Amino acid sequence: MKILRHLASVTATAVMLGAATLAPAQTLKFAYDADPVSLDPHEQLSGGTLQLSHMVFDPLVRWNKDLGFDPRLAESWERVDDTTMRFNLRHDVKFHSGNPMTAADVVWTIDRLKTSPDFKGIFAGWVSATALDDYTVEIKTDGPSPLVMHTATYVFPMDSKFYEAGGAEIVKHGDSFASSHISGTGPFTISEREQGVKVTFTRNPDYWDTNSPGNVQTAILTPIKEAPTRVAALLAGDVDFIAPVPPTDLARIDANEGTDLVTMTGTRIITLQMNQQRNEALANPKVRLAIVNAINNEGIVEKIMKGFGTAAAQQSPKGYIGYNPDLKPRFDLAKAQALMTEAGYPDGFSATMMCPNNRYVNDFKICEAAAAMLAKINIKVDLTTMPKAQYWPKFDERAADIMMIGWHSDTEDSANFNEFLTMTPNADTGRGQYNSGNYSNAEVDALTEASLTETKGDTRSEQLQKVEKILYDEAAFVPLHWQDLAWAARKGVNIEPVLNVMNFPYLGDLVITE
Amino acid sequence: MHIIAFLLRRAVQAVIVMFVISLIGFSIQDNLGDPLRELVGQSVSEAERDLMREDMGLNDPFLSQYARFLGHAVQGDLGNSYFFKRPAIAVIMDKFPATFELVLGSVLIFLTVSIPAGIYCAIHRNSWLTRFIMSASILGISVPVFLTAIFMVWIFGVELGWLPAYGRGATYELPWGWDTGFLTLDGLKHLILPCVTLSSIMLPLFIRLIRAEMMEAMGTDYVRFARAKGLSTTRVRYVHAFRNTLLPVVTVGGLMIGTLIAYTILTETVFQWPGMGFLFLEAVNRVDTPLIIAYIIVVGLIFVIVNTMVDFIYTLINPMVKLPGAKA
Amino acid sequence: MITWSALLKRFISDPVAIIAGFVLLLLILMAAFAPLIAPQNPYDLMQIDVMDSDMPPSWKPGGDPRFWLGTDSQGRGVLSTIMYGTGISLLIGIGAVIVQGVLGITLGLIAGYKGGWIDSFLMRLADIQMSLSTLMIAIIVLALFQAAFDPSVYAEYAIFMLIFIIGIAEWPKFARTVRASVLGEKNKEYVDAARVIGLPARKVMWGHILPNAMTPVLVISTIQVAEAIMTEAALSFLGLGMPVNKPSLGSLIRSGFEYIFSGSWWITFYPALVLIALILALNLLGDWLRDVMNPKLRRGDE
Repeated sequence: MKILRHLASVTATAVMLGAATLAPAQTLKFAYDADPVSLDPHEQLSGGTLQLSHMVFDPLVRWNKDLGFDPRLAESWERVDDTTMRFNLRHDVKFHSGNPMTAADVVWTIDRLKTSPDFKGIFAGWVSATALDDYTVEIKTDGPSPLVMHTATYVFPMDSKFYEAGGAEIVKHGDSFASSHISGTGPFTISEREQGVKVTFTRNPDYWDTNSPGNVQTAILTPIKEAPTRVAALLAGDVDFIAPVPPTDLARIDANEGTDLVTMTGTRIITLQMNQQRNEALANPKVRLAIVNAINNEGIVEKIMKGFGTAAAQQSPKGYIGYNPDLKPRFDLAKAQALMTEAGYPDGFSATMMCPNNRYVNDFKICEAAAAMLAKINIKVDLTTMPKAQYWPKFDERAADIMMIGWHSDTEDSANFNEFLTMTPNADTGRGQYNSGNYSNAEVDALTEASLTETKGDTRSEQLQKVEKILYDEAAFVPLHWQDLAWAARKGVNIEPVLNVMNFPYLGDLVITE
Repeated sequence: MHIIAFLLRRAVQAVIVMFVISLIGFSIQDNLGDPLRELVGQSVSEAERDLMREDMGLNDPFLSQYARFLGHAVQGDLGNSYFFKRPAIAVIMDKFPATFELVLGSVLIFLTVSIPAGIYCAIHRNSWLTRFIMSASILGISVPVFLTAIFMVWIFGVELGWLPAYGRGATYELPWGWDTGFLTLDGLKHLILPCVTLSSIMLPLFIRLIRAEMMEAMGTDYVRFARAKGLSTTRVRYVHAFRNTLLPVVTVGGLMIGTLIAYTILTETVFQWPGMGFLFLEAVNRVDTPLIIAYIIVVGLIFVIVNTMVDFIYTLINPMVKLPGAKA
Repeated sequence: MITWSALLKRFISDPVAIIAGFVLLLLILMAAFAPLIAPQNPYDLMQIDVMDSDMPPSWKPGGDPRFWLGTDSQGRGVLSTIMYGTGISLLIGIGAVIVQGVLGITLGLIAGYKGGWIDSFLMRLADIQMSLSTLMIAIIVLALFQAAFDPSVYAEYAIFMLIFIIGIAEWPKFARTVRASVLGEKNKEYVDAARVIGLPARKVMWGHILPNAMTPVLVISTIQVAEAIMTEAALSFLGLGMPVNKPSLGSLIRSGFEYIFSGSWWITFYPALVLIALILALNLLGDWLRDVMNPKLRRGDE
């Protein structure tokens, strides 16, 4: 068959048009910094996997713009008691293979999630999932859990018959049926995929959500790793939609007539952790306070992030249950100097610092700037930056006095930050796994544990806000900022309504007007 | 017979080079960072990761890992890329057409420009155009290829918006699975900037080389004799003199292939060209050891093959030269 | 061999050589005295402030007279970073050529003087090395080193690694040239005379033969410095060379690359201009030297 690939997809679109819908044929060419590493939605817990899941699968429920839950494959849900939740599924849903979606598929998917190394942590509290009938699933948790709905956003029912026939095994470092074949319920199917080069999505003609306004018939994802090239591709009209947009180019895209820019305050907190065991000086809360006061994180946001971030004073972003509105970013050089003198370090001290150089937006530039700011209070920082593949082993070794870590709460819940970043490290429970500062406070530990079984919203909120306050007062870490999210598209591609702070564009609902 | 001896010798040389490369690559892979982190999500525990490391054989002693690697390597299996989860060699071969077409395009460009320009400069030694070409060529030699690439993207891709500045565009799949950009308009457009960039570094060298060889050839007895025989000037110039410049052009061209491949890495980086060089740098960042080693081995093989071919062509053009290393 | 005064006379009668020489001298002086004349020490953290970042050149709107060529994303003056960066580029270029020269001259002398299997072995080795490309070898070796070494160690020793790798990869050029000269000189009377009076081989080689082979060595050196600087810049651009806190011109261009499309062209443009000027001046001088000293030598088949 000597047909151009290019032409092939156009033809496919045209055929479908006649068959399925009256909406005009729209092709969306979009570029991300990477393409999904695998088609298996349970192989790796990452933004890329979830973005893919939202295109080819549907979750039981999904986040809306106000951090509430919208029904998707679950039409409704009810809490039976403290440890039981029931989901009622839609009746009219078919997988891409043609198999009908039933409660058995949902149970099968949850069981599979519980075997995935990446996802099992999130589902640890779900003791059982049972199909009460074809369209009702009952979830039991190991205790009262405030996070059942949060967790349900991770359940993207898979076509159990399809995967059972082909091979359902989750293989993390090899080829498997599920890593190269896919059958979901979502708005798109994958018609072509060349890893690292492009993925072509074709609209599912039998999509259950007939209310979806989306009119994209073909979506072609091209990974473009280098940010300047990605922007150039949008400006040159080679692609219609890009993400992420580098901070350096925000102004230019905004000023450009043919393109629209959408930014949102993100939920990923960027911090510096100060190791109290490696460096004696950092065990002194006054020194830590001095450091927090010396680092002008609003300046970093303005200059290095080009305003593309929100200066932080705590871990929880606004909208999270633990967000404490009283906490404000601190920057006061005179106070920092005074604190250093008070702590007994008027002439400063030396400290080592390590940062990744390809993990977070502008990561190493932020560290360079922070090092320069610390020089002003006589802390001589020896900074090393490295690619993330080398950084993580160093981070596990706690190889420097000051280390950078960014965190996004997988559950979109405040307690998750404490569990991983600020609770006392404990190898057995896994708490404090990313607490490279060895910060430890019994009250923080107790309050966080309590919040994990507290189902009353108000009490939880109190507990988690109190944690933020303690961390703030003791300068447990240096809060830098929440990375903003930015997307850009050519005019006529109405991306704004389908975007959210989780950074899962619901491209199935995307409308292209011209 | 001597051709077989020559080939054998080359093969032995190649095997030795490959062995040394594989050993070097392998001996340091223990320190190559941790590929696991690239494969798992943020909340996977250390114990889980160690289990997987064990599973992948990353905790075995060095010698047994190397022995396993060599055992597979001789069967043409260089291991699976950690990132692509497919045989490393297959991943590289997928990218080979992109790099090959980039090189081919730029070779076509610099040959079609440098041959006429070199001949012109040799014949019209003092014309203003010659002086201009010669001055421009030294400027060309002095501009690093990545700067040429950046300026190309900036001017033609961004400011003027005439040509696409990243990727390969639409490709056409040939029956044997080779994706070519030469057969679609879009693919050709995407080829222009990277190919011009890559040829810019070779062009001045070849103009100077051809000019010098041509000037020398025109001074030889052979050409003077041809002229004395009454052959037309044109014929003397383009047939007799030019033929004599081919030999050094082929030799230097062969030597330059190595440099050209190195420059593809730079060009591919700036233009996001999905070729082998781009893949290699990404593999280095991701600590994808099997892919790194496979790339080095493939590039080593290309060197050996190209050098062998150059030696052959050399003998074809100039039958008086014996194959090196062969005893007649 | 021509005399120094003749050389000087040829120099002042060639405007291209004068301009190239002047530019080179200017850049060398600028780099050598950077700590004294640069408006700012961009690597002293006390002197930089991120609030000064991304300023355009001083004559543009938004510019600041303190930063004549603007500032980069950390608030370092581009002029100052160029002055310091040129020094690092030159250091690596000259250092690498010294390594090449020492290695190449020594091995070339030995090969030419001793002959026999040593000669064939060394020349075969040179052939193999020349058929691989310097940049290719350097990229592979540095990529492996970067992955293998601790990043802080790598950052600290990057400059030495670059000098040695570029130095070792390019020794055959010197060795071949020196060997050719040795073969030409070996059987001349003065060498025989030296040998007859009982001078050891080492003294004959270094004291008598080498001085006569210096002309081509000088010519090659100039062009080799240009090539070494270019190689280093390419490596740094790929992120395999000098680290961000000790940048050469190549690393400056790398760090500016991502800003070029967003309008902050000066972070890339000026270091690029200086890099081109430096390499061009060296190439022009090298060509000129070659024409003057030995018109027979040609680029392309050194």
